[in-house]
Amino acid sequence: MAKGFDIDHLAKLARLQLSAEEKTLYSNQLNQVLTYFETLARADLPPVADVAQVVEESALREDIPSQPLGSEAVTKIAPAARDGQISVPRVVDDES
Amino acid sequence: MDKSQFLVWLMTNPDMSDALHLLSATEIAQRLQAGTLTSRALVDALLARYHALNKKVGAFTYLAEPDVIAQAEASDLRRKQGKALGPLDGIPVAIKDNIAVKGQPLTCSSKMLAKLISPYDAHVIEALRAAGAIIYGRLNMDEFAMGSSTENSALQKTYNPWDLARIPGGSSGGSAAALAAGLVPLALGSDTGGSIRQPASHCGVVGLKPTYGLISRYGLVAFASSLDQIGPMARSIDDCELLLNALATPDARDMTCFDKEQRTSLPPVAVNQLRIGIPRGILDKGVGQEVAAATRAAIDFYRSQGATIVEVDLPSSDLAVPTYYVVATAEASSNLARYDGVRYGHRSAQATTPVEMMTLSRSEGFGPEVKRRILLGTFVLSAGYADAYYVRALRARSKILSEHLAALEKVDVILTPTVPTPAFKAGEKISDPLQLYLEDIFTIPANLAGLPALSVPCGKSQHLPVGFHLVGAPLSEKKLFAASRVFEAAHSYRHQQAPL
Repeated sequence: MAKGFDIDHLAKLARLQLSAEEKTLYSNQLNQVLTYFETLARADLPPVADVAQVVEESALREDIPSQPLGSEAVTKIAPAARDGQISVPRVVDDES
Repeated sequence: MDKSQFLVWLMTNPDMSDALHLLSATEIAQRLQAGTLTSRALVDALLARYHALNKKVGAFTYLAEPDVIAQAEASDLRRKQGKALGPLDGIPVAIKDNIAVKGQPLTCSSKMLAKLISPYDAHVIEALRAAGAIIYGRLNMDEFAMGSSTENSALQKTYNPWDLARIPGGSSGGSAAALAAGLVPLALGSDTGGSIRQPASHCGVVGLKPTYGLISRYGLVAFASSLDQIGPMARSIDDCELLLNALATPDARDMTCFDKEQRTSLPPVAVNQLRIGIPRGILDKGVGQEVAAATRAAIDFYRSQGATIVEVDLPSSDLAVPTYYVVATAEASSNLARYDGVRYGHRSAQATTPVEMMTLSRSEGFGPEVKRRILLGTFVLSAGYADAYYVRALRARSKILSEHLAALEKVDVILTPTVPTPAFKAGEKISDPLQLYLEDIFTIPANLAGLPALSVPCGKSQHLPVGFHLVGAPLSEKKLFAASRVFEAAHSYRHQQAPL
């Protein structure tokens, strides 16, 4: 099983900013956990996973319209909102 | 006090005004129905106890007294008018802080959601309200249910009522501690790898992880969706079953929740017909001496009652913990991607661009264990590694499931300890995640296989409670309850009080 990883790349994928101390700590701890995972690499396993046995999904539910949370309820819990809409930092730069 | 002493004490204390917290939900229901107790009087007694003990135990993170009193008075009024809604009407149920209650905090014990007020009720809360139960306060937990000691809560510490220097277990540590401290008769927990059963064992209470699909997850904050289940926790088997019956109803909003036709449960089995499987060599694997002794005593008890004890083979048991930590972290890294600072939860005040907003909000909002698991889950799903880790883990999960189903063809239940060792001291394992992951070695397979599993108090290791663990075939909850009720009736553990 492949070992070792690039903590900077992972942090970027996970959208986490880590301090130098965090990087060292998590790298060491994750390496330890991955070493423990090696039992999986050595195991004799069935060729395919049939997880559908565990998680049996019901047939599609009836298509009955229901009342969603209104914009008032949604914007009330948003970190920032204006005029009934959620506001975020500028996404697109000005053209000028 | 043993059971007979307790009964004598009960009979010589007809007033009971100062001991309402000791009653089981079943006993409370009988008194409410007989008119010898009101919900208001019960709630007043529990609130007094909350004020006296919650600081010491740290179980509750939130309790709205006026709301609780109003619910109790509404219940008493219904009863007076002959409109009581059922056995749970007027009985308080405390809620783990990852289950949505409209108008109340939904923090998951995380800084990320510290200010979130839920705009809606979870399905289980709707079901409890329909049954007349009192939605009673919110319980501490490991952040986003990730942990086995409740030490990962960003809000507060929770202490084991049996020994305040020790952890209550986790992640439903607040739920187990509240029950053991007599702060509430019933509680909801959630279980992804043992988060109901491990704290139940550590605090000497009963906890069930139901069959995957039995209880709707609508309104449960997602950690690992293919493993998560809400479940009942209580101080007795009867109470645990009473609560389960109210929660286990169909709900189209969770597509993995069984519909009406899929809910045929397996019938209970008389103890002299019961076949109990013991995994070969189970007590040799790092199980504490006193835990092993209590488990052997439970096995001997069942044998003396006429149950058949057989050894079963579960050769892939060693794969359960690594398989779990690949599957659970993979799903968590995906589920927790929603915390981006946009729609709800923490948003960093420092961010000037959208990417900064996501990155800084997540870095400031999540605690260390959540970050660790997101990184691990991101790694096992990342290009070049997904086949070696995630896909292999899914194949191992299949194997673990087929081995369990094969064993459960031959036996009704599989019995093991719930946790290898009793509750450890606070801080003892916080810097060693791998050691902490091994707490769940006996509870994880039931989540991977979607099977129902119950932890039942069965003894002590010195002064600390110990539980045994029963796993059954899908929808065999009645079998688990019936089997454990025989044990409970013959032992005094249910009436033991934590020394607070």
